[in-house]
Amino acid sequence: MEKLLQVENLKVRFKTNEGYVSTVNGVSLEMKKGEILAIVGESGSGKSVTSLSILDILPPNGEVYDGEVYLEDKNLNKISKNEYRKLRGKEMSMIFQEPMTALNPVFTIGFQLRESLQLNLKMKKSEATKKGIEMLELVGIPDAEKVMTRFPHQLSGGMRQRVMIAIALSCDPKLLIADEPTTALDVTIQKQILKLMKNIREKLNTGILIITHDLGVVAEIADRVAVMYAGEIVEEASVFELFKNPKHPYTRGLMASIPKIHDVVDKLHSIEGMVPNPAEMPSGCKFHPRCPLADNECVSNHPKLEKISDTHAKRCFKV
Amino acid sequence: MKYFFLNVIKTVPVLILITLIVFILVRVTGDPVALMISENATEQEKAELREALGLNDNLIVQYINYMGSIIQGDFGESFRYNTDALTLVLDRLPASIELAIVSMILATIVSVPLGILSAIKRNSLLDLFITGISVVGKAMPNFWLGIMLILVFSVMLSLLPVSGSGTLAHTILPAVALGTGIAAEMTRLIRSSMLEILGQDFIRTARSKGLFEAVVVNVHAFRNALIPVVTIMALQTSTLIGGTLITETVFAWPGVGQLLIQAVNLRDMAVVQAAVFIIAIAVIVSNLLADLIYRLLDPRIKYD
Repeated sequence: MEKLLQVENLKVRFKTNEGYVSTVNGVSLEMKKGEILAIVGESGSGKSVTSLSILDILPPNGEVYDGEVYLEDKNLNKISKNEYRKLRGKEMSMIFQEPMTALNPVFTIGFQLRESLQLNLKMKKSEATKKGIEMLELVGIPDAEKVMTRFPHQLSGGMRQRVMIAIALSCDPKLLIADEPTTALDVTIQKQILKLMKNIREKLNTGILIITHDLGVVAEIADRVAVMYAGEIVEEASVFELFKNPKHPYTRGLMASIPKIHDVVDKLHSIEGMVPNPAEMPSGCKFHPRCPLADNECVSNHPKLEKISDTHAKRCFKV
Repeated sequence: MKYFFLNVIKTVPVLILITLIVFILVRVTGDPVALMISENATEQEKAELREALGLNDNLIVQYINYMGSIIQGDFGESFRYNTDALTLVLDRLPASIELAIVSMILATIVSVPLGILSAIKRNSLLDLFITGISVVGKAMPNFWLGIMLILVFSVMLSLLPVSGSGTLAHTILPAVALGTGIAAEMTRLIRSSMLEILGQDFIRTARSKGLFEAVVVNVHAFRNALIPVVTIMALQTSTLIGGTLITETVFAWPGVGQLLIQAVNLRDMAVVQAAVFIIAIAVIVSNLLADLIYRLLDPRIKYD
C-alpha cells in the first residue's frame, strides 16, 4: 500500500510564563492509504497536540520546533502558510472531541457544510447544497434536507458529531484525523459513530488517524496502534499484536486497567503515580518513576524505540 | 411577535412612572410664575396667572388633569415660546437623531477594526496602544473633548465651524465629541468578546476546514462576538442621550437636548415634561430594538 502520512521526529513546545514547555518529544509515525491508526494515551501525553500540529492548527502559543511531516510525498514543513491552509479541509481534515461546541452556534448546518465545499472545490451554492445533503445522508442523518436549515443547538450530540464527520469528509480528504470522536457520546452512539467511520474507510479509502484513551475503541476500529506516554511513542504494533502480546510496562498497565466483565474485583487496577508534568520531565526513561521494572539503567539512560518484529516496536530496556 | 407586543405593553407602567417623577420634580424645584411675568408685576397679577395655569389646585388634581391631557397628546404650552410643547420637542427630534446616528456610525467604523485587531494581536504593542487610547477615550468627559475640538479645529486651524448645524461640516465635531466615548467603550467590548470567542472549539473547526484566516476571524468569530456587544451598546442608549444633552449644548446643536437644558433653566414646565417623555420613549424603543436584534443574532434564543 502507498504511503499516506509520515511524521518524523516531531517536537512541539508551548510558550508559558515559565518559559518553553515541550509536550511532544520526537514522535515518528507512518500511515498507509486507507489505514486506521490509533494513538492511545492518557490526558497530557501529547496525542492531541500531535494531531493539531499535523494540521498546523496549534493554539497561538504552540510551535513545532523540530521534525518533519510528509503528506504523501509533500514535505509540509517546506510549504507556505497559505498552501498549508489549502490542504486543510481538502486533503486532510479533522473531527473533534466535543460535538456540542465544535460547530458554530450562529450558522446553519447547511452554511457550515457548504462553506468548505464552495471554498475547496469551487462549487456553486446549489451544487454545494446538493453535495451537502448527500454527505448528511452518507453519515446516516435522516431528513437531511431539513437538517441543512437547522442550527447546531437543534440537534443531539450524536447528530452533531455526524454533521462534523460529514463536514470533514465533504471534500473527500485522504486523511481524516479524529480526536477522541466518541468520548463525549453515550455508548450506543459511540458504537454507531465507530461503525460509520469504518464504513467510510471502506467506501472512500480514507486514512483515519484516531486519537483516543479508550482501548475499547482501539480494539473496535484500528489496524495499528501507537501508545504515547509523556510526549513520545512507547510502543507501536498491529492491533492484534498489541492486545495479544503487550510489551511495554505502560501498555501492560493500561491493559490491566480495563475492567473484565466476568471478574469480580473490589478495586480496578490503576498505574501508580501520575503523568509527569511536561515542565519537570524525569531523567532517563520517562516512565521509570511509575514502572515496576525500573532499575538504575532506566533512571540514567533514555531508551530508543526499537523494532522487535516487522509489526512491533517498543521503547524499554527491560522487556 | 406575541412576545414583542407583550414587551411593548410592559413599558406602559414605566412611562406612567416617568411622567409622575418629572411632574413632581418640576413642581418642587421652584415657582415658574416668577420667571414668566415681568419683575414689576404685583402679587395680585402673579396670583391670577397661577390661578389661570391651574397651579393652585391640589397636586393630585393637577396630575390627573395633566395625565388626561397627555392621553389626548396635549403636553401643554411652552411658557417661553407660546407654542405647543410637544410640537416644539418633535421639531427638534430629527436633529438629535441625526447626531446620535452619525456618532454611532463613526464609533462603529472606528471600534470594530480596532477591537478585532487588538484581540487577534493580543498582548502585542499594538494591543497595548489600542487599549491605552480606548481608556483615554473613555475617561475624557465629552464636554471637555468638545471644547478642545472647537479650540483646535475651529479656532486654531479654522477647518470646521464652531457651532450650529445644517451641513456635514457642522456635524463632524459634535459627532466626534459624542462618538469618542462610545467608540472607546465598544472597542473594549469587542476586544474582550472576540478574545473569548477566538478560544472556542468552533474556531478551531473553522480553521481545520481550510478557511482563510480573515473569514475565521471576521465571519465565524465576529458574528458570535457581536451578540454581547450589540446588547450592551443598545442598553447604553441612555448614556448616549445623556451625552447628547451636553454635546448639543456645547455645540449649540438645535436638538432636544439643548431645548431641554434651556427649558430646565427657564422652568418651562411643559417643555421639560414633553422632552423627558420623548426621551423616555426613545430609551424604551431602543431597549426593545436591542431585544429584537439580540434574537436575530443568536438563533439559540427562543421566542416565547
